[in-house]
Amino acid sequence: MRAASGNMDPNSKRFIYRVNKEENRKELKHVKIDESSVIKSDISTKKNKKNKMELPKKKYYRQRAHSNPFSDHQLEYPSCPEDMDWSKLYPAFKDENSGEMTKEVTIADIGCGFGGLMIDLSPAFPQQLILGMEIRVQVTNYVEDRIIALRSNHAKEQTYQNINVLRGNAMKFLPNFFHKAQLSKMFFCFPDPHFKQRKHKARIVTNTLLSEYAYVLKEGGIIYTITDVEDLHNWMVKHLTEHPLFERLSKEWEANDKCVEIMTNATEEGKKVARKQGSKFVACFKRLPNPEII
Amino acid sequence: MTIIHPVQTVAALDDSSVIFAVIKNVILGYKREDSGSYKLIGKWVDEFDRTESIKNKVTKEQDRQINENAKKQKDNEGNVIVQKKKTEAKIPVPGPGAPPVYSCIRNLLISKDGSKLLSCADSDKSVLVFDIDLNNDTNCLQLVKRQPFPKRPNSITISDDGKTVVMADKFGDVYSIPTDGEPLKDINDELDPILGHVSMLTDVLFKTDSHGKKFIITSDRDEHIKVSHFPQSFIVDKWLFGHSQFVSSICSPQWKSEWLFSAGGDDFVYLWDWELGKKLSEFKYSDMIKPYLTDKHLAPSRFQNESNDIIEYAVSKIISFTDIPYVAFFVEATKILFIAKVDVENKKIYESTTLELPYNIISLDNAYNNEIVLSLDNRDSNGKDFIKFVKYNQQDGSFELNEKRSNELDACINELKSDSDITVEEGNIYPLYSTTTLRKHGEHYS
Repeated sequence: MRAASGNMDPNSKRFIYRVNKEENRKELKHVKIDESSVIKSDISTKKNKKNKMELPKKKYYRQRAHSNPFSDHQLEYPSCPEDMDWSKLYPAFKDENSGEMTKEVTIADIGCGFGGLMIDLSPAFPQQLILGMEIRVQVTNYVEDRIIALRSNHAKEQTYQNINVLRGNAMKFLPNFFHKAQLSKMFFCFPDPHFKQRKHKARIVTNTLLSEYAYVLKEGGIIYTITDVEDLHNWMVKHLTEHPLFERLSKEWEANDKCVEIMTNATEEGKKVARKQGSKFVACFKRLPNPEII
Repeated sequence: MTIIHPVQTVAALDDSSVIFAVIKNVILGYKREDSGSYKLIGKWVDEFDRTESIKNKVTKEQDRQINENAKKQKDNEGNVIVQKKKTEAKIPVPGPGAPPVYSCIRNLLISKDGSKLLSCADSDKSVLVFDIDLNNDTNCLQLVKRQPFPKRPNSITISDDGKTVVMADKFGDVYSIPTDGEPLKDINDELDPILGHVSMLTDVLFKTDSHGKKFIITSDRDEHIKVSHFPQSFIVDKWLFGHSQFVSSICSPQWKSEWLFSAGGDDFVYLWDWELGKKLSEFKYSDMIKPYLTDKHLAPSRFQNESNDIIEYAVSKIISFTDIPYVAFFVEATKILFIAKVDVENKKIYESTTLELPYNIISLDNAYNNEIVLSLDNRDSNGKDFIKFVKYNQQDGSFELNEKRSNELDACINELKSDSDITVEEGNIYPLYSTTTLRKHGEHYS
């Protein structure tokens, strides 16, 4: 109960909410949710006459906005990509006969936050598996609960089966999850700006980390970045432009890409920036082929 | 009582005819004479004074803060006036109870042709490049380059042609600098890391594959071993997955260049084909070392259980013999040297012998002629057993200590027993056991 309790008052509304949700999550996290399972074990019918599972409430999952990527977090990750059991995250894409996955993850949202981007990407790419990675425990819990609710509520249409979230440190353990050239798209939406100069290494885009992103991206794969901090935007553009394996895509390309459109409008941060009428800076880069090895 | 500090790091040139040893912040060079006795031929003391660099750093940070927080006012004409308060920067001094600052020298590496010695100084976090001139008996070590870095260098390697040093730091970045030329003043502004991990780096190696392509192999405390191209270090070739604990040491034998041995906090020593990216085999040493573990191997109290029986141990260093298919390694804070025989045909370590030394092993290096050299934590020895030589006996295939040679060298080191550069008050020993602190305990939950 560590994750749910923390130092919280055990009688608080938030605590009780989190405990309930944790039970629900444990039960439904890795099961395939379809029509039959919803009818069998409908938890929400008594409370909700419309037979809909309530979406999680963000206010119960609040947690400080930053996490130190250099700390030794209590993390779970596979020892190598082959050891990862993806069927737990995408049970609908497991072949019942062979037990093998029919698809692999090709889109990653690094630092997915509350999961808004994935939820809008899901119907846009129904045949691709999309993974969100988030380092904050409560935020990850929220996204898990949100996906469980969405899958339950759309059991008939079988939508939202292609998205899921993992709690993890993408800066350290990305190659534990993805093999070489596995991904076609990576999103970095409103990353932590780490304003202080001596914390720049903690930024999600650095010249050394880009080499690792280039490793998991296939040729022609796209890195999407968006931020409301101009300084960070310039930083990301500078480093991506300088990196020999990336090339910036034109404004014209951006204007015609549906992911740019979704990224600009779907994420929670994006909406917040829009509400405050702030500016959003977008930059997209293509993974170039490796040059000839000298 | 004053004693000579134990040798923290040792490196051998050729058949250990020349030995370099680090004691505190001093590098000593010893040459074996034809008579068999050793002679001191070089001494270099790191006399770098930190106060000036700290002062510069503090002043720089103060300036930055003043600029950032400066009150901007407009005068009557609407011009902006920036008001700055300027005071002399104070140099912070460690308060009472703060841990002492040790100015160690770590790593010793001799270039392939024996003409250069590389090392790292903690004082200004620099890489040191020395020319070795064995004809200069008064001091064979000439410092030719001192390159400070933003973070402490943890490991260094040198290219086969001796022209490039690659350094892996505590913060996870890897830098490449030429061994000659002027050092860069402000490395942060002038040089970007050539590759990096988001984890403390523990070891780095230069390698050339069977097609003649160059690579850099790096290991970190997040179980990762990464293989990157060089000089195109932005292209990651592969990771070698399999460790479940930090990696502390990697080595690649001359007799099988596509192989890599690695060890650290695991119960195993691993053998890889780094060109294919495949784990070939693993060798479990943990059962053999357990009888030799002591109270020093109990986990730190905050990670300990109620019955106080969690033990933590790790391989500190693994090296390969130059000419014979053997590797040697030791577990930190033990007296036991493992010498393991490698079955090249079947790609595995198939048996190992252990050698019990009089004191805990501190460092290990290979020499030519099927020989290795190691240094011991001899603080209680009354001036004996600084450095030991272990030689392969071709007749019966055994390994034995070359006591005579060890004694010769001990005697030579002892001549400096009144030299305050290398002596300490008893009990005032520099940290010698830091590998096990690399173990992760997952302290952060949220």
